[in-house]
Amino acid sequence: MSALRRYAPLLLLALLWEAAPRLHLVDPRSLPPMSEVAVAWWRLLISGDLATEGLSSLLNLLAGLLLGIVIGTALGVLMAWYRAIDDLVHPLIRALYPMPKSALIPVMMIWLGLGAASKIASIFIGCLLPVVLSAYNGARGVDRVLIWSARAAGASPREVLWEVVLPAAMPEILAGVRNALALSFILLVSSEFIIGQHGLGYLISFLGEGGAYDAMFAGVATVAAVGFLADRLYLLAMRKALLWRE
Amino acid sequence: MAGTEISFERVSHTYRPPRGRPVPALEEVSLAVREREFMALLGPSGCGKSTLLYLLGGFLPVEQGQISVGGVPVRGPGPDRGIVFQNFALFPWKTVRQNILYGLEKQRMPRAERERRAQEFVDLVHLGGFEDSYPSQLSGGMKQRVAIARTLAIDPAILLMDEPFGALDAQTRGLMHEELLSIMERRPKTVVFVTHDVREAVYLADRVAVMSARPGRIKEIVETGHEGRPGPEIVKSRAFAEKVDYLWDSVRKEALLAQAQKAGGA
Amino acid sequence: MERIGGIDPARLLRRSALILILLLAWEGLARLHVFTPFLLPSLTTVLERLAKDTMTGQLPLSLALTLYRALLGFALAAACGVAVGVLIARVRFARWLFDPLVSVGLPMPKIAFLPIFVLWFGVFDESKILMVAFSAVFPVIVATAAATENVEKVLIWSARGLGTGERRLLWEIALPAAFPQIMTGLQVALPIALIVAVLAEMQMGGQGLGGDMMQASRFADSPGVFAGLVAIAIAGSALVKAMELIRRRLLVWHAEAEAGY
Repeated sequence: MSALRRYAPLLLLALLWEAAPRLHLVDPRSLPPMSEVAVAWWRLLISGDLATEGLSSLLNLLAGLLLGIVIGTALGVLMAWYRAIDDLVHPLIRALYPMPKSALIPVMMIWLGLGAASKIASIFIGCLLPVVLSAYNGARGVDRVLIWSARAAGASPREVLWEVVLPAAMPEILAGVRNALALSFILLVSSEFIIGQHGLGYLISFLGEGGAYDAMFAGVATVAAVGFLADRLYLLAMRKALLWRE
Repeated sequence: MAGTEISFERVSHTYRPPRGRPVPALEEVSLAVREREFMALLGPSGCGKSTLLYLLGGFLPVEQGQISVGGVPVRGPGPDRGIVFQNFALFPWKTVRQNILYGLEKQRMPRAERERRAQEFVDLVHLGGFEDSYPSQLSGGMKQRVAIARTLAIDPAILLMDEPFGALDAQTRGLMHEELLSIMERRPKTVVFVTHDVREAVYLADRVAVMSARPGRIKEIVETGHEGRPGPEIVKSRAFAEKVDYLWDSVRKEALLAQAQKAGGA
Repeated sequence: MERIGGIDPARLLRRSALILILLLAWEGLARLHVFTPFLLPSLTTVLERLAKDTMTGQLPLSLALTLYRALLGFALAAACGVAVGVLIARVRFARWLFDPLVSVGLPMPKIAFLPIFVLWFGVFDESKILMVAFSAVFPVIVATAAATENVEKVLIWSARGLGTGERRLLWEIALPAAFPQIMTGLQVALPIALIVAVLAEMQMGGQGLGGDMMQASRFADSPGVFAGLVAIAIAGSALVKAMELIRRRLLVWHAEAEAGY
């Protein structure tokens, strides 16, 4: 009951979505009723288009994101730990960080062509920067007495890096990865809009250009739902991983 | 095994903040701590007593003078010198048991032996039942007991304590004093104990070294003159009160001096 | 060691080394034709292109258009976001209505709605600005709602005790106290506004830095693409820097006001 009350506004929105075009309050071509979009979604599912394009999107997203997380974390922690690396790399990261990441896509198209490589590279570079900075800040913020405690217990500097600095920086790293996750969806969908070829973004713009608006709305809803669920799942996993915090 | 007597010979240290002028923290400090002695370092805040401890621990490089343990100069941290910090310094992502196990793993102790020993120290500090709790779930006193257990578990010959009970409330602090003394009775060690609490220093230590305001120097060394392990009853003795009074005066002068320095220097 | 103004010159050199090396490598590799001029036009070519486009007025016009769309969208997002955020924090009905919508909307990839915006609003400024505002509004709402809710009760109580009315309470106490956190939300929203403005231009055309880049890319004009990248990067840095400065300015005022009470 309380859940119903809580989510009632979402139901209202759905109802409005269904009723407005049916009552011709808005043009049904601009906003197909929800039920028709649901039917279109079902057709997309059965035809296999959703699965094929979704898989392509998922693989590109994961490739770019994971590369960004692994390399970004390593780089950020090393920057925090070795002054020389910090001096070298930090100014470059600082200079690139505020760049609107969407501008990378046309450059990647020139370097890597109109394919998966360009999409993955755009996602990778876009995700790299926030992860580097969060790992750097996390590792810099490690309390020195934690490091000293480990050293006094007989840990080598390299062991301290793995066993103390990395876990102590984990809350910040995981928060940075959440930002990267959001950014990866933006870059994925927009690179699919722009580069085309494959993916849910491509499917949406293809359907839109063909005038199949009910199916286009179904595609948009799918991407929105997947992005939302990905964030929620990540949040759950993050809470679990950081259970020690309270 | 080498002895555990500690000697500081004309140790000076300058603190260099990333921005701003270098600050002389310690000047020509010489001090000898005997084997199995409980030595308290007492002084106003900012007098460099913690710095002295960190130098002995090997966490900061000794730039001038020499610090040696059992005749061997200190170069870097080592498991022969265990340390307990004011803010516990527990690994927050490890449970009580995992925190205590960490040092034992570093000592390459076989697994079964490790587990047994960790349990022994959990019991020693009366934390049975909390083995799988995270530090964030414990009270301040319990956290400090874990930190002590973690440090004692690897059986360092020397115990360094940096205002270990400073973050605890008065009642808990009293209980921790008894606990520490009882542990030291069972497992005697050479202890260097930093504090700015005069009563704590007189109660726990065999000797109290009073440090001057910045730059820190050893101003005087006072024998507390306990016979055997001190108990709560000695606090009421006249001798205890006189020692506390005497040291309180000595520290107060330095604290006032330090305040004047701060006001003048800032 | 010799120090100039507190900075060690050797360190300064180290800190600029990588950027210098990369710029030199860019120029060198392009000149030696390690990559074709299409893949990597030389740095000097790109700079010449930037200079030329500035002279002809094309670059300033595009820059102005992009900033206009991004900033107007951002302003719209800021105004609506703060208003909705305050309503959520203070009005029970608004909380019931907006809370689920916002918690679904925040983590959703809003960029996917771009084709719907094209369908509804066309491909001109209106559509781009609304797309920017829609993408940037959610972090502002969330930050404002949280900030307004977290204003310390004692602050409100003492203001009431001094006889402040409900309406003035909001303007004189709650909003200033919540301001630092709201500002943080705005600082999250600004880069989003820029990213989306550029993307909307790439998709919908109609000049602007993003549109120019897409145009250049379509005509295999790689100096144009690189020049666009450089211009967008500089514009982005400048805006983010400006926002930091504004924050510092306003928060100094805030701190002073608090100390003056």
